[in-house]
Amino acid sequence: MNDASPKPSPRRDAAVDQDEVLYAPRKKLYVRAVTGLFANWRWALVWITQIIFYGLPWLRWNDRQAVLFHLTERKFYIFGWVFWPQDVFFLAILLIISAYALFFFTAVAGRLWCGYACPQTVYTEIFMWIEQKIEGDHNKRQKLDQAPMSGRKLAIRSAKYGAWALLSLWTGFTFVAYFSPLQELLQSVTTFGFGPWELFWILFYGSFTYLFAGIMREQVCKYMCPYARFQSVMFDPDTLVITYDEERGEPRGTRRKGIDPRSVGKGDCIDCGICVQVCPTGIDIRKGLQYECIGCAACIDACDQVMDKMNYPRGLIRYSTENALRQHWGSKEIVAHVMRPRTLLYGAVLALVCVGFVWGLAMREPLRVDVIRDRASLAREVEDGMIENVYRLQVMNMTEAARNFNLAVSGLEGVKIDGDGKVKVGPAATEAVTLRVLVPYDSGKPGANEIAFDVKAEDDPSLTVHEKTTFLFPR
Amino acid sequence: MRKWILVLWPSFLVAALAEGVFFTVVDPQELYLFGKPVHYSALATYSIGFIGFWLVCAASSLTTIFLQRPATELNQPSRHH
Repeated sequence: MNDASPKPSPRRDAAVDQDEVLYAPRKKLYVRAVTGLFANWRWALVWITQIIFYGLPWLRWNDRQAVLFHLTERKFYIFGWVFWPQDVFFLAILLIISAYALFFFTAVAGRLWCGYACPQTVYTEIFMWIEQKIEGDHNKRQKLDQAPMSGRKLAIRSAKYGAWALLSLWTGFTFVAYFSPLQELLQSVTTFGFGPWELFWILFYGSFTYLFAGIMREQVCKYMCPYARFQSVMFDPDTLVITYDEERGEPRGTRRKGIDPRSVGKGDCIDCGICVQVCPTGIDIRKGLQYECIGCAACIDACDQVMDKMNYPRGLIRYSTENALRQHWGSKEIVAHVMRPRTLLYGAVLALVCVGFVWGLAMREPLRVDVIRDRASLAREVEDGMIENVYRLQVMNMTEAARNFNLAVSGLEGVKIDGDGKVKVGPAATEAVTLRVLVPYDSGKPGANEIAFDVKAEDDPSLTVHEKTTFLFPR
Repeated sequence: MRKWILVLWPSFLVAALAEGVFFTVVDPQELYLFGKPVHYSALATYSIGFIGFWLVCAASSLTTIFLQRPATELNQPSRHH
Protein backbone atom coordinates (compact mmCIF):
# COMPACT_ATOMS: atom_id res chain seq x y z
CA MET A 1 0.00 0.00 0.00
CA ASN A 2 2.99 2.18 0.58
CA ASP A 3 4.20 2.09 -2.99
CA ALA A 4 2.09 5.06 -4.07
CA SER A 5 3.05 7.39 -1.23
CA PRO A 6 6.57 8.77 -0.81
CA LYS A 7 8.48 7.00 1.92
CA PRO A 8 9.14 9.25 4.90
CA SER A 9 12.60 9.12 6.40
CA PRO A 10 12.85 7.26 9.73
CA ARG A 11 13.54 10.47 11.63
CA ARG A 12 10.53 12.24 10.22
CA ASP A 13 8.48 9.16 10.93
CA ALA A 14 9.40 9.15 14.61
CA ALA A 15 8.48 12.81 14.92
CA VAL A 16 5.15 12.20 13.28
CA ASP A 17 4.48 9.35 15.69
CA GLN A 18 4.82 11.69 18.62
CA ASP A 19 2.83 14.57 17.22
CA GLU A 20 -0.05 12.78 15.62
CA VAL A 21 -2.59 11.73 18.20
CA LEU A 22 -4.77 9.84 15.82
CA TYR A 23 -4.00 7.64 12.88
CA ALA A 24 -0.40 8.35 12.10
CA PRO A 25 0.85 7.86 8.55
CA ARG A 26 1.82 4.30 8.85
CA LYS A 27 4.43 1.87 7.83
CA LYS A 28 2.61 -1.26 6.81
CA LEU A 29 3.36 -4.19 9.06
CA TYR A 30 4.06 -7.64 7.74
CA VAL A 31 3.31 -9.59 10.83
CA ARG A 32 5.03 -12.94 11.05
CA ALA A 33 2.73 -15.80 12.05
CA VAL A 34 3.42 -17.45 15.36
CA THR A 35 2.58 -20.74 17.06
CA GLY A 36 2.75 -21.78 20.69
CA LEU A 37 0.86 -21.83 23.95
CA PHE A 38 -0.50 -18.27 23.85
CA ALA A 39 -1.26 -18.46 20.13
CA ASN A 40 -3.37 -21.52 20.98
CA TRP A 41 -5.18 -19.55 23.66
CA ARG A 42 -5.85 -16.75 21.21
CA TRP A 43 -7.22 -19.19 18.67
CA ALA A 44 -9.35 -20.88 21.32
CA LEU A 45 -10.87 -17.51 22.12
CA VAL A 46 -11.40 -16.79 18.41
CA TRP A 47 -13.36 -20.03 18.09
CA ILE A 48 -15.37 -19.62 21.27
CA THR A 49 -16.37 -16.00 20.66
CA GLN A 50 -17.14 -16.51 16.99
CA ILE A 51 -19.12 -19.74 17.40
CA ILE A 52 -21.22 -17.78 19.88
CA PHE A 53 -21.46 -14.67 17.69
CA TYR A 54 -22.24 -16.39 14.39
CA GLY A 55 -24.25 -19.20 15.99
CA LEU A 56 -26.57 -17.51 18.49
CA PRO A 57 -29.04 -16.03 16.00
CA TRP A 58 -29.70 -19.53 14.65
CA LEU A 59 -30.76 -20.97 17.98
CA ARG A 60 -34.48 -21.39 18.58
CA TRP A 61 -36.34 -21.24 21.86
CA ASN A 62 -40.08 -21.64 22.45
CA ASP A 63 -40.71 -21.34 18.73
CA ARG A 64 -38.85 -18.07 18.39
CA GLN A 65 -35.29 -16.88 17.99
CA ALA A 66 -33.48 -17.60 21.25
CA VAL A 67 -31.53 -14.35 21.34
CA LEU A 68 -33.11 -11.39 19.63
CA PHE A 69 -32.93 -7.73 20.53
CA HIS A 70 -36.16 -7.02 18.71
CA LEU A 71 -36.05 -3.32 17.97
CA THR A 72 -39.44 -3.08 16.28
CA GLU A 73 -41.21 -4.75 19.21
CA ARG A 74 -38.93 -3.02 21.72
CA LYS A 75 -38.32 -6.32 23.48
CA PHE A 76 -35.12 -8.20 24.18
CA TYR A 77 -35.47 -11.98 24.02
CA ILE A 78 -32.69 -13.89 25.73
CA PHE A 79 -33.60 -17.56 25.99
CA GLY A 80 -36.29 -17.84 28.68
CA TRP A 81 -36.32 -14.12 29.42
CA VAL A 82 -38.12 -11.30 27.75
CA PHE A 83 -36.84 -7.86 28.68
CA TRP A 84 -38.79 -4.67 28.19
CA PRO A 85 -37.63 -1.08 28.17
CA GLN A 86 -38.74 -1.00 31.81
CA ASP A 87 -35.92 -3.46 32.55
CA VAL A 88 -33.20 -0.99 31.59
CA PHE A 89 -32.01 -1.42 35.18
CA PHE A 90 -30.59 -4.84 34.26
CA LEU A 91 -28.75 -3.38 31.30
CA ALA A 92 -27.20 -0.77 33.56
CA ILE A 93 -26.12 -3.46 36.04
CA LEU A 94 -24.67 -5.49 33.16
CA LEU A 95 -22.61 -2.50 32.05
CA ILE A 96 -21.31 -2.03 35.60
CA ILE A 97 -20.37 -5.73 35.72
CA SER A 98 -18.51 -5.44 32.40
CA ALA A 99 -16.65 -2.36 33.60
CA TYR A 100 -15.58 -3.93 36.88
CA ALA A 101 -14.61 -7.19 35.19
CA LEU A 102 -12.41 -5.13 32.88
CA PHE A 103 -10.87 -3.26 35.86
CA PHE A 104 -10.33 -6.51 37.72
CA PHE A 105 -8.70 -8.43 34.89
CA THR A 106 -6.57 -5.45 33.92
CA ALA A 107 -5.30 -5.02 37.47
CA VAL A 108 -4.43 -8.73 37.70
CA ALA A 109 -2.92 -9.40 34.30
CA GLY A 110 -2.93 -6.32 32.12
CA ARG A 111 -4.66 -6.21 28.79
CA LEU A 112 -6.12 -9.72 28.75
CA TRP A 113 -9.22 -8.36 27.05
CA CYS A 114 -7.24 -6.69 24.27
CA GLY A 115 -4.90 -9.61 23.69
CA TYR A 116 -7.44 -12.40 23.57
CA ALA A 117 -11.09 -11.40 23.47
CA CYS A 118 -11.53 -7.96 21.89
CA PRO A 119 -13.37 -8.21 18.56
CA GLN A 120 -10.67 -6.05 17.00
CA THR A 121 -8.05 -8.66 17.94
CA VAL A 122 -10.26 -11.60 17.03
CA TYR A 123 -11.22 -10.32 13.58
CA THR A 124 -7.69 -9.14 12.84
CA GLU A 125 -6.54 -12.65 13.71
CA ILE A 126 -9.07 -14.19 11.31
CA PHE A 127 -8.32 -11.69 8.53
CA MET A 128 -4.57 -12.24 8.91
CA TRP A 129 -5.11 -15.99 8.74
CA ILE A 130 -6.95 -15.56 5.42
CA GLU A 131 -4.17 -13.28 4.18
CA GLN A 132 -1.53 -15.81 5.19
CA LYS A 133 -3.39 -18.64 3.43
CA ILE A 134 -3.81 -16.69 0.19
CA GLU A 135 -0.70 -14.52 -0.03
CA GLY A 136 1.77 -16.61 1.94
CA ASP A 137 4.02 -15.70 4.86
CA HIS A 138 5.23 -12.23 5.83
CA ASN A 139 8.17 -12.28 3.41
CA LYS A 140 6.01 -13.32 0.47
CA ARG A 141 3.44 -10.66 1.36
CA GLN A 142 6.06 -7.93 1.40
CA LYS A 143 7.44 -9.11 -1.96
CA LEU A 144 3.97 -9.18 -3.44
CA ASP A 145 3.35 -5.62 -2.24
CA GLN A 146 6.54 -4.40 -3.88
CA ALA A 147 6.01 -6.34 -7.11
CA PRO A 148 4.53 -4.47 -10.08
CA MET A 149 0.92 -5.22 -10.91
CA SER A 150 0.62 -8.42 -12.91
CA GLY A 151 -2.00 -11.02 -13.71
CA ARG A 152 -0.83 -13.16 -10.84
CA LYS A 153 -0.80 -10.29 -8.36
CA LEU A 154 -4.26 -9.22 -9.45
CA ALA A 155 -5.57 -12.77 -9.01
CA ILE A 156 -4.06 -13.14 -5.52
CA ARG A 157 -5.27 -9.71 -4.47
CA SER A 158 -8.79 -10.31 -5.75
CA ALA A 159 -8.91 -13.64 -3.94
CA LYS A 160 -7.87 -12.04 -0.66
CA TYR A 161 -10.15 -9.02 -0.91
CA GLY A 162 -12.97 -11.25 -2.09
CA ALA A 163 -12.58 -13.62 0.86
CA TRP A 164 -12.43 -10.67 3.25
CA ALA A 165 -15.52 -9.14 1.67
CA LEU A 166 -17.50 -12.38 1.96
CA LEU A 167 -16.59 -12.80 5.61
CA SER A 168 -17.41 -9.13 6.27
CA LEU A 169 -20.80 -9.45 4.62
CA TRP A 170 -21.55 -12.54 6.65
CA THR A 171 -20.49 -10.70 9.80
CA GLY A 172 -22.74 -7.76 8.93
CA PHE A 173 -25.62 -10.10 8.21
CA THR A 174 -25.13 -11.86 11.54
CA PHE A 175 -24.98 -8.55 13.36
CA VAL A 176 -28.28 -7.42 11.90
CA ALA A 177 -29.82 -10.82 12.74
CA TYR A 178 -29.47 -9.88 16.42
CA PHE A 179 -31.87 -6.97 15.91
CA SER A 180 -34.15 -8.12 13.15
CA PRO A 181 -35.51 -11.71 13.07
CA LEU A 182 -33.19 -14.09 11.23
CA GLN A 183 -36.02 -15.96 9.53
CA GLU A 184 -37.23 -12.79 7.83
CA LEU A 185 -33.68 -11.87 6.85
CA LEU A 186 -33.13 -15.32 5.34
CA GLN A 187 -36.24 -14.91 3.22
CA SER A 188 -34.89 -11.55 2.10
CA VAL A 189 -31.65 -13.23 1.04
CA THR A 190 -33.41 -15.51 -1.43
CA THR A 191 -35.43 -12.70 -2.98
CA PHE A 192 -32.94 -9.93 -2.19
CA GLY A 193 -35.87 -8.10 -0.68
CA PHE A 194 -34.06 -6.58 2.28
CA GLY A 195 -35.59 -3.53 3.84
CA PRO A 196 -33.46 -0.47 3.01
CA TRP A 197 -32.27 -0.09 6.59
CA GLU A 198 -31.48 -3.77 7.07
CA LEU A 199 -29.34 -3.61 3.95
CA PHE A 200 -27.77 -0.37 5.12
CA TRP A 201 -26.72 -1.84 8.46
CA ILE A 202 -25.45 -5.11 6.94
CA LEU A 203 -23.22 -3.10 4.63
CA PHE A 204 -22.29 -0.61 7.34
CA TYR A 205 -21.20 -3.22 9.85
CA GLY A 206 -19.62 -5.33 7.13
CA SER A 207 -17.56 -2.41 5.80
CA PHE A 208 -16.39 -1.52 9.27
CA THR A 209 -15.31 -5.12 9.87
CA TYR A 210 -13.42 -5.06 6.58
CA LEU A 211 -11.84 -1.69 7.27
CA PHE A 212 -10.87 -2.36 10.89
CA ALA A 213 -9.70 -5.97 10.60
CA GLY A 214 -8.36 -5.91 7.06
CA ILE A 215 -6.87 -2.46 6.59
CA MET A 216 -6.47 -0.49 9.81
CA ARG A 217 -5.69 -3.27 12.29
CA GLU A 218 -3.26 -2.07 14.98
CA GLN A 219 -4.07 1.55 14.10
CA VAL A 220 -7.47 1.04 15.73
CA CYS A 221 -5.86 -0.04 19.01
CA LYS A 222 -3.20 2.65 18.88
CA TYR A 223 -5.20 5.67 17.81
CA MET A 224 -8.90 4.96 18.16
CA CYS A 225 -9.48 2.81 21.20
CA PRO A 226 -10.42 4.77 24.32
CA TYR A 227 -9.58 1.84 26.60
CA ALA A 228 -5.98 1.74 25.37
CA ARG A 229 -5.64 5.31 26.58
CA PHE A 230 -6.77 4.80 30.15
CA GLN A 231 -5.95 1.16 30.87
CA SER A 232 -2.62 2.11 32.43
CA VAL A 233 -4.34 3.69 35.45
CA MET A 234 -5.40 0.17 36.48
CA PHE A 235 -1.80 -1.04 36.39
CA ASP A 236 0.42 -1.19 39.46
CA PRO A 237 3.82 -2.78 40.16
CA ASP A 238 2.12 -6.13 40.87
CA THR A 239 0.19 -6.32 37.61
CA LEU A 240 1.22 -9.20 35.36
CA VAL A 241 2.39 -7.79 32.05
CA ILE A 242 4.39 -9.09 29.16
CA THR A 243 7.93 -8.32 30.13
CA TYR A 244 11.36 -8.65 28.62
CA ASP A 245 13.87 -9.73 31.28
CA GLU A 246 16.46 -7.09 30.58
CA GLU A 247 18.84 -8.30 33.26
CA ARG A 248 18.96 -11.74 31.69
CA GLY A 249 18.86 -10.65 28.08
CA GLU A 250 21.37 -7.80 27.92
CA PRO A 251 23.81 -7.14 26.45
CA ARG A 252 22.09 -8.64 23.45
CA GLY A 253 23.87 -9.77 20.32
CA THR A 254 24.52 -12.58 17.91
CA ARG A 255 26.65 -15.52 18.90
CA ARG A 256 27.45 -18.99 17.70
CA LYS A 257 25.16 -21.75 18.87
CA GLY A 258 26.37 -23.84 21.78
CA ILE A 259 28.68 -21.34 23.44
CA ASP A 260 27.97 -19.94 26.89
CA PRO A 261 26.83 -16.33 26.30
CA ARG A 262 28.45 -15.16 29.54
CA SER A 263 31.84 -16.33 28.24
CA VAL A 264 31.57 -13.80 25.40
CA GLY A 265 30.13 -11.13 27.66
CA LYS A 266 26.59 -11.39 26.35
CA GLY A 267 23.13 -11.94 27.76
CA ASP A 268 20.54 -14.44 26.55
CA CYS A 269 18.97 -12.22 23.85
CA ILE A 270 20.42 -13.20 20.50
CA ASP A 271 18.88 -10.11 18.89
CA CYS A 272 17.12 -12.16 16.22
CA GLY A 273 14.29 -9.61 16.12
CA ILE A 274 11.56 -12.23 15.83
CA CYS A 275 9.72 -10.71 18.82
CA VAL A 276 9.38 -7.52 16.75
CA GLN A 277 8.37 -9.37 13.58
CA VAL A 278 5.49 -11.19 15.27
CA CYS A 279 4.17 -8.11 17.08
CA PRO A 280 0.80 -7.08 15.62
CA THR A 281 1.38 -3.47 16.70
CA GLY A 282 4.98 -3.41 15.49
CA ILE A 283 6.66 -2.49 18.77
CA ASP A 284 9.84 -3.80 20.36
CA ILE A 285 8.92 -5.27 23.74
CA ARG A 286 12.57 -5.03 24.77
CA LYS A 287 12.11 -1.28 25.14
CA GLY A 288 9.81 -1.95 28.10
CA LEU A 289 6.08 -1.60 28.65
CA GLN A 290 4.45 0.61 26.03
CA TYR A 291 0.87 1.71 25.62
CA GLU A 292 0.80 0.16 22.13
CA CYS A 293 1.29 -3.34 23.59
CA ILE A 294 -2.06 -5.10 23.45
CA GLY A 295 -0.83 -8.00 25.57
CA CYS A 296 -1.30 -10.68 22.93
CA ALA A 297 1.82 -12.59 24.06
CA ALA A 298 2.87 -13.41 20.49
CA CYS A 299 6.41 -12.31 21.39
CA ILE A 300 6.46 -14.78 24.31
CA ASP A 301 5.65 -17.70 22.00
CA ALA A 302 8.19 -16.53 19.44
CA CYS A 303 10.97 -15.97 21.95
CA ASP A 304 10.36 -19.30 23.71
CA GLN A 305 10.88 -21.10 20.41
CA VAL A 306 14.16 -19.28 19.88
CA MET A 307 15.25 -20.08 23.43
CA ASP A 308 14.44 -23.76 22.81
CA LYS A 309 16.59 -23.73 19.68
CA MET A 310 19.45 -22.14 21.57
CA ASN A 311 19.00 -24.55 24.51
CA TYR A 312 18.44 -21.61 26.84
CA PRO A 313 15.70 -21.69 29.46
CA ARG A 314 12.36 -20.29 28.27
CA GLY A 315 10.88 -17.08 29.55
CA LEU A 316 13.27 -14.36 28.44
CA ILE A 317 10.02 -12.64 27.52
CA ARG A 318 7.26 -13.73 29.90
CA TYR A 319 4.28 -12.64 31.98
CA SER A 320 5.84 -11.01 35.02
CA THR A 321 5.39 -8.00 37.26
CA GLU A 322 7.50 -4.94 37.86
CA ASN A 323 8.08 -5.96 41.47
CA ALA A 324 8.86 -9.57 40.58
CA LEU A 325 11.48 -8.51 38.10
CA ARG A 326 13.12 -6.10 40.50
CA GLN A 327 13.09 -8.46 43.47
CA HIS A 328 13.66 -11.71 41.55
CA TRP A 329 10.43 -13.32 42.69
CA GLY A 330 9.39 -16.80 41.62
CA SER A 331 5.91 -17.63 40.41
CA LYS A 332 4.77 -18.43 43.97
CA GLU A 333 5.47 -14.90 45.17
CA ILE A 334 3.88 -13.40 42.05
CA VAL A 335 0.69 -15.36 42.66
CA ALA A 336 0.75 -14.34 46.33
CA HIS A 337 0.73 -10.69 45.24
CA VAL A 338 -2.32 -11.11 43.04
CA MET A 339 -4.33 -10.56 46.21
CA ARG A 340 -3.83 -6.93 47.14
CA PRO A 341 -6.12 -4.07 48.15
CA ARG A 342 -6.80 -2.98 44.58
CA THR A 343 -7.73 -6.40 43.21
CA LEU A 344 -9.64 -7.29 46.38
CA LEU A 345 -11.68 -4.10 46.06
CA TYR A 346 -12.40 -4.61 42.35
CA GLY A 347 -13.16 -8.27 43.01
CA ALA A 348 -15.47 -7.51 45.94
CA VAL A 349 -17.45 -4.91 43.99
CA LEU A 350 -17.64 -7.26 41.02
CA ALA A 351 -18.88 -10.17 43.15
CA LEU A 352 -21.41 -7.95 44.92
CA VAL A 353 -22.87 -6.54 41.70
CA CYS A 354 -23.00 -10.04 40.16
CA VAL A 355 -24.92 -11.37 43.15
CA GLY A 356 -27.25 -8.38 42.92
CA PHE A 357 -27.80 -9.03 39.24
CA VAL A 358 -28.65 -12.70 39.72
CA TRP A 359 -30.88 -11.89 42.70
CA GLY A 360 -32.65 -9.20 40.71
CA LEU A 361 -33.25 -11.62 37.83
CA ALA A 362 -34.60 -14.29 40.16
CA MET A 363 -36.88 -11.82 41.93
CA ARG A 364 -38.09 -10.19 38.71
CA GLU A 365 -41.89 -10.33 38.64
CA PRO A 366 -42.90 -11.23 35.09
CA LEU A 367 -46.08 -9.19 35.41
CA ARG A 368 -46.34 -5.44 35.53
CA VAL A 369 -49.37 -3.18 35.77
CA ASP A 370 -49.60 0.55 35.16
CA VAL A 371 -52.74 2.25 36.39
CA ILE A 372 -53.69 5.54 34.78
CA ARG A 373 -56.73 7.44 35.96
CA ASP A 374 -58.86 8.70 33.13
CA ARG A 375 -58.41 12.45 33.35
CA ALA A 376 -61.25 13.25 30.97
CA SER A 377 -64.03 12.00 33.20
CA LEU A 378 -63.23 12.56 36.84
CA ALA A 379 -65.79 11.46 39.35
CA ARG A 380 -69.25 10.86 37.94
CA GLU A 381 -72.47 10.08 39.75
CA VAL A 382 -74.27 7.13 38.17
CA GLU A 383 -77.39 5.06 38.90
CA ASP A 384 -78.15 3.63 42.38
CA GLY A 385 -76.18 6.42 44.07
CA MET A 386 -72.84 5.03 43.01
CA ILE A 387 -69.78 7.11 42.17
CA GLU A 388 -67.86 6.09 39.09
CA ASN A 389 -64.16 6.58 38.25
CA VAL A 390 -62.59 5.33 35.03
CA TYR A 391 -59.11 3.80 34.89
CA ARG A 392 -56.90 2.52 32.17
CA LEU A 393 -54.86 -0.51 33.19
CA GLN A 394 -51.82 -1.44 31.17
CA VAL A 395 -51.20 -5.12 31.92
CA MET A 396 -47.77 -6.34 30.77
CA ASN A 397 -47.39 -10.09 30.63
CA MET A 398 -43.66 -10.78 30.45
CA THR A 399 -44.04 -14.55 30.43
CA GLU A 400 -44.16 -16.54 27.23
CA ALA A 401 -47.61 -18.01 27.76
CA ALA A 402 -50.89 -16.30 27.03
CA ARG A 403 -52.57 -15.74 30.38
CA ASN A 404 -55.93 -14.79 31.81
CA PHE A 405 -55.77 -12.29 34.61
CA ASN A 406 -58.44 -11.58 37.19
CA LEU A 407 -58.74 -7.97 38.24
CA ALA A 408 -59.97 -7.05 41.68
CA VAL A 409 -60.26 -3.74 43.48
CA SER A 410 -60.18 -3.02 47.21
CA GLY A 411 -59.75 -0.20 49.72
CA LEU A 412 -63.26 1.22 50.07
CA GLU A 413 -66.48 -0.21 51.45
CA GLY A 414 -68.50 -1.75 48.59
CA VAL A 415 -66.02 -0.91 45.84
CA LYS A 416 -66.49 -3.00 42.70
CA ILE A 417 -65.55 -3.24 39.06
CA ASP A 418 -68.28 -2.80 36.50
CA GLY A 419 -67.98 -5.87 34.31
CA ASP A 420 -66.33 -9.27 34.69
CA GLY A 421 -62.88 -7.91 35.58
CA LYS A 422 -60.96 -10.31 33.40
CA VAL A 423 -58.33 -9.65 30.82
CA LYS A 424 -56.49 -11.98 28.49
CA VAL A 425 -52.92 -11.03 27.61
CA GLY A 426 -50.92 -12.77 24.91
CA PRO A 427 -47.39 -14.11 25.40
CA ALA A 428 -44.90 -11.30 26.05
CA ALA A 429 -47.56 -8.77 25.25
CA THR A 430 -49.33 -5.76 26.70
CA GLU A 431 -53.06 -5.33 26.97
CA ALA A 432 -54.74 -2.06 27.83
CA VAL A 433 -58.09 -2.39 29.54
CA THR A 434 -60.49 0.37 30.50
CA LEU A 435 -62.20 -0.21 33.81
CA ARG A 436 -65.17 1.51 35.37
CA VAL A 437 -64.95 1.32 39.15
CA LEU A 438 -68.06 1.95 41.23
CA VAL A 439 -68.24 2.93 44.91
CA PRO A 440 -71.35 3.69 47.00
CA TYR A 441 -71.60 7.46 47.53
CA ASP A 442 -71.37 7.22 51.32
CA SER A 443 -68.26 5.04 51.68
CA GLY A 444 -65.60 7.66 50.98
CA LYS A 445 -64.69 11.24 51.80
CA PRO A 446 -64.85 14.04 49.24
CA GLY A 447 -61.60 14.26 47.28
CA ALA A 448 -59.00 11.54 46.92
CA ASN A 449 -59.41 8.10 48.51
CA GLU A 450 -56.83 5.37 48.31
CA ILE A 451 -57.80 2.19 46.53
CA ALA A 452 -55.74 -0.63 45.05
CA PHE A 453 -55.99 -3.00 42.13
CA ASP A 454 -54.97 -6.64 42.44
CA VAL A 455 -54.10 -8.37 39.21
CA LYS A 456 -53.77 -12.11 39.55
CA ALA A 457 -52.96 -14.75 36.95
CA GLU A 458 -55.77 -17.29 36.74
CA ASP A 459 -53.46 -20.30 36.37
CA ASP A 460 -50.69 -19.14 38.70
CA PRO A 461 -51.82 -17.51 41.96
CA SER A 462 -48.25 -16.55 42.80
CA LEU A 463 -48.15 -14.27 39.77
CA THR A 464 -49.79 -11.22 41.21
CA VAL A 465 -49.38 -7.47 41.34
CA HIS A 466 -50.81 -4.99 43.84
CA GLU A 467 -51.02 -1.49 42.44
CA LYS A 468 -52.24 1.52 44.40
CA THR A 469 -54.16 4.46 42.97
CA THR A 470 -56.70 7.06 44.05
CA PHE A 471 -60.47 7.20 43.73
CA LEU A 472 -62.06 10.62 43.52
CA PHE A 473 -65.32 11.62 45.17
CA PRO A 474 -67.07 14.79 44.11
CA ARG A 475 -66.60 17.62 46.58
CA MET B 1 -7.28 11.53 6.96
CA ARG B 2 -6.36 12.17 10.57
CA LYS B 3 -8.81 15.07 10.87
CA TRP B 4 -11.59 13.01 9.36
CA ILE B 5 -11.07 10.31 11.94
CA LEU B 6 -10.79 12.86 14.75
CA VAL B 7 -14.19 14.20 13.74
CA LEU B 8 -16.01 11.01 12.80
CA TRP B 9 -14.74 8.45 15.28
CA PRO B 10 -15.32 10.04 18.71
CA SER B 11 -18.68 11.29 17.47
CA PHE B 12 -19.54 7.74 16.38
CA LEU B 13 -18.81 6.39 19.86
CA VAL B 14 -20.80 9.08 21.61
CA ALA B 15 -23.67 8.78 19.11
CA ALA B 16 -23.89 5.03 19.81
CA LEU B 17 -24.14 5.81 23.52
CA ALA B 18 -26.70 8.57 23.00
CA GLU B 19 -28.76 6.34 20.71
CA GLY B 20 -28.89 3.60 23.32
CA VAL B 21 -29.88 5.89 26.16
CA PHE B 22 -32.38 7.93 24.13
CA PHE B 23 -34.30 5.05 22.61
CA THR B 24 -34.32 3.07 25.83
CA VAL B 25 -36.24 5.92 27.38
CA VAL B 26 -38.28 7.07 24.38
CA ASP B 27 -40.49 4.87 22.25
CA PRO B 28 -40.10 5.91 18.59
CA GLN B 29 -43.85 5.49 18.15
CA GLU B 30 -44.36 8.40 20.54
CA LEU B 31 -42.23 10.82 18.55
CA TYR B 32 -43.68 13.66 16.55
CA LEU B 33 -42.19 15.07 13.38
CA PHE B 34 -43.40 18.56 12.41
CA GLY B 35 -46.47 18.07 14.54
CA LYS B 36 -47.43 14.71 13.07
CA PRO B 37 -46.74 11.30 14.58
CA VAL B 38 -43.72 9.59 13.02
CA HIS B 39 -44.93 7.15 10.40
CA TYR B 40 -41.59 5.52 9.56
CA SER B 41 -40.88 1.93 10.55
CA ALA B 42 -39.20 1.51 13.91
CA LEU B 43 -35.94 0.41 12.30
CA ALA B 44 -35.93 3.50 10.09
CA THR B 45 -36.55 5.75 13.09
CA TYR B 46 -33.71 4.14 15.04
CA SER B 47 -31.39 4.41 12.06
CA ILE B 48 -32.25 8.03 11.30
CA GLY B 49 -31.91 8.76 15.00
CA PHE B 50 -28.45 7.26 15.07
CA ILE B 51 -27.28 9.11 12.01
CA GLY B 52 -28.76 12.30 13.45
CA PHE B 53 -26.87 11.85 16.72
CA TRP B 54 -23.73 11.11 14.75
CA LEU B 55 -24.08 14.27 12.69
CA VAL B 56 -24.66 16.44 15.75
CA CYS B 57 -21.69 14.92 17.58
CA ALA B 58 -19.53 15.23 14.48
CA ALA B 59 -20.46 18.90 14.21
CA SER B 60 -19.27 19.36 17.77
CA SER B 61 -16.00 17.53 17.08
CA LEU B 62 -15.52 19.59 13.94
CA THR B 63 -15.96 22.80 15.91
CA THR B 64 -13.47 21.55 18.47
CA ILE B 65 -10.70 20.91 15.98
CA PHE B 66 -11.56 24.15 14.18
CA LEU B 67 -11.11 26.17 17.38
CA GLN B 68 -8.05 24.17 18.32
CA ARG B 69 -5.96 25.57 15.48
CA PRO B 70 -2.88 27.20 16.94
CA ALA B 71 -2.08 30.87 16.53
CA THR B 72 0.82 30.09 14.23
CA GLU B 73 -1.51 28.45 11.77
CA LEU B 74 -3.98 31.32 11.91
CA ASN B 75 -1.35 33.99 11.47
CA GLN B 76 0.38 32.27 8.59
CA PRO B 77 -1.59 33.66 5.61
CA SER B 78 -1.13 37.30 6.63
CA ARG B 79 2.61 36.84 6.94
CA HIS B 80 2.84 36.08 3.25
CA HIS B 81 1.20 39.34 2.24
